[in-house]
Amino acid sequence: MFITDIRKEFYDVVVNQRVALLVSSEIDALCACKILQALFHCDQVQYTLVPVTGWQDLGTAFLEHKEQFRCFVLINCGANVDLLETLQPEEDSIFFICDTHRPVDVVNVYNDTQVKLMIKQDDDLGVPSYDDIFRDEEEEGGNDSGNESDGGSEPSGKRRRYDEGEVERRIERQRATREWEARRREILFDYEQYEYHGTSAAMVIFELAWVLTKDTKDMLWWAIIGLTDQLVHDKITHMKYVTDIATLQRHVSRHNHRNEDEDNSLSIDCMRISFEYDLRLALYQHWSLFESICNSSYTSCNFKLWSMHGQKKLQEFLADMGLPLKQVKQKFNSMDMSVKENLREVIEESSNKYGMKDIRIQTFGVHFGFKNHFLASDVVHATAALLESTEKDDSPGDNFIKALDCLSRSNLERLHGGIDLAKKKLMAIQQTVASCICTNLILSQGPFLYCYLLEGTPDVKLFSKPMALTLLCKYLLKAFVRSTRNKRCKLLPLIIAAPMDVEKRTVIVLGIPPESETSDKKNFFGRAFEKAAESTSSRTLHDHFDTSIIELKMEDRTKFLDALITLLS
Amino acid sequence: MDPSEVEFLAEKEVVKIIPNFSLDKIYLIGGDLGPFNPGLPVDVPVWLALNLKQRQKCRIVPPEWMDVEKLEEIRELERKEDTFTPVPSPYYMELTKLLLNHASDNIPKADEIRTLVKDIWDTRIAKLRLSADSFISQQEAHAKLDNLTLMEINTTRSFLLDTLNCMYKLRSNLQPGSKYISDVV
Repeated sequence: MFITDIRKEFYDVVVNQRVALLVSSEIDALCACKILQALFHCDQVQYTLVPVTGWQDLGTAFLEHKEQFRCFVLINCGANVDLLETLQPEEDSIFFICDTHRPVDVVNVYNDTQVKLMIKQDDDLGVPSYDDIFRDEEEEGGNDSGNESDGGSEPSGKRRRYDEGEVERRIERQRATREWEARRREILFDYEQYEYHGTSAAMVIFELAWVLTKDTKDMLWWAIIGLTDQLVHDKITHMKYVTDIATLQRHVSRHNHRNEDEDNSLSIDCMRISFEYDLRLALYQHWSLFESICNSSYTSCNFKLWSMHGQKKLQEFLADMGLPLKQVKQKFNSMDMSVKENLREVIEESSNKYGMKDIRIQTFGVHFGFKNHFLASDVVHATAALLESTEKDDSPGDNFIKALDCLSRSNLERLHGGIDLAKKKLMAIQQTVASCICTNLILSQGPFLYCYLLEGTPDVKLFSKPMALTLLCKYLLKAFVRSTRNKRCKLLPLIIAAPMDVEKRTVIVLGIPPESETSDKKNFFGRAFEKAAESTSSRTLHDHFDTSIIELKMEDRTKFLDALITLLS
Repeated sequence: MDPSEVEFLAEKEVVKIIPNFSLDKIYLIGGDLGPFNPGLPVDVPVWLALNLKQRQKCRIVPPEWMDVEKLEEIRELERKEDTFTPVPSPYYMELTKLLLNHASDNIPKADEIRTLVKDIWDTRIAKLRLSADSFISQQEAHAKLDNLTLMEINTTRSFLLDTLNCMYKLRSNLQPGSKYISDVV
């Protein structure tokens, strides 16, 4: 059931009870969790926070906590699968789901008592209407059995006439049922075929805070990070991003005008959020400009920096802007002020000449204290690196807590640590992409492109995690589209496989839709993977909340791929 | 005494807040508080004001003395006089720190206020040190310290008392007579 008034139907219900918060392991969910935790602290609500990484985790967490809790709040998990079927809860458990995964499972939508969805209905959902999918099965069975018993007790002559009429009507009914079922299957197939993402969970929870007038700049900043996470990991279309940025911009102006005027300026330690039309270079203010250009997917793919020709073009580009190489290769903060002054405009002009029309993108930045300035995308990269860090001693729970900590303002060293990890991750991605393109590791399998990362590839441990692998995959597809001459290949989607767990001999397989200017980011690989796994009885684990990411046994890889090829062609 | 204990005592001071919720009068052991009505100022102790502020249930109104011009005058006066001048509040240092850490968005020109209060503090502590120094070197029997706040006394208390004890022991050692030596040891 969709919640219309989030304050009355969710917050007022939850504020008097103990709540279990089940949070998925991604940045948007972390931000939503932070905002919700802040609200709970204000009102002294008792809650238990449980990070979950997949459906199995969700199941175990639910089993552990179902005795003690009646209210469960699920963030970025649980909407796209029949929740009651999966978890088998008691009658009095209530689930509040704030999830960006679409399509929302129809059972979740039409359940009135136990499942409450915190999703705005004007998010283009396209849920099929109730009558198209559900029908009272009882009338059917009742009529049939009634007829048979009647038929048995009548005298034979009358019975024959009665029977013929009855039989005709029953055949008619059965035909109608079959037709209805076929239509239902078709409707459901169309509805559930493509997987995509809706409005950021952090933004939904921020709206709740705003309705309660308990919103602070910290919460607004977390909502901004949640939205930027959707952009960085390419989950939403550019149009939707721009619309959501406009919404957040209204909140930012409201907060900025609240306290400041001519005479009473705010303390420098207060957080200031500002709208920036900034460069699409990852982490450039915490790195050197040169490194940032080399390791950001947008610039690297446009220049084709894996080839010598590309490197030369980059040098030309820098010379065209008049930036001395020595300046560009040192840390951004130490560059000369004269160089930094009009940097954004200068870069924009030059990049227009080189075919990069949107090197600038609308985003937000934050200032607090004298030396802390961060862009939203910087924080997203840092938190993602911390969340998926592959250091030896880190368990997923620890990583979750560290990533959650780095979002608060008081843990700046953790944020800087995250930025360093993110730099390493981006460099690893860049090198892997360069080597894949140069060694032609991407093969066209007919209906899709396929790439397999061998076990010996450097930094392959990084790519056993879904978010890092997604970034690599998108970057790889962009680079491939630029470097190939085959026109047909440019429109194909990409499936990438990387070793996940060496002892258990599994690979992680991920599919992304084809690269295009007007892509609507709808991914059909979820269903395709399921069908292929069924038909070849491969040993797969569809554990991740994004159905387009699965785990597969290494030995079953070839037959799984063959099944996919036949399925999709 | 620990500085955190002094801060604890400072939290009993009264400050004005503007709540955004309503609540009837509450009857606490230390006194009555309230009633709370949204938008109407009410006087509460600092500990409650900070708790409500952190739960975003109120806005703190800075005390009257926490104003740039007034503090500048006090600072000038302090620098001119040799003795200690009257303070704006017996807990001015703790209140400044608490309010500026938790509610700096409600206090205009917070950075300047912080600097001014620190200047006043530095001047007074310098005077205190000079006074203690002359007290010991000239072996005076008593000193007059008006207008000192608890926090300032606290900074010098343990040091001064230990010093005086040590000096007493040293002086009594110089006296002839073995019974004093055995006392000291």
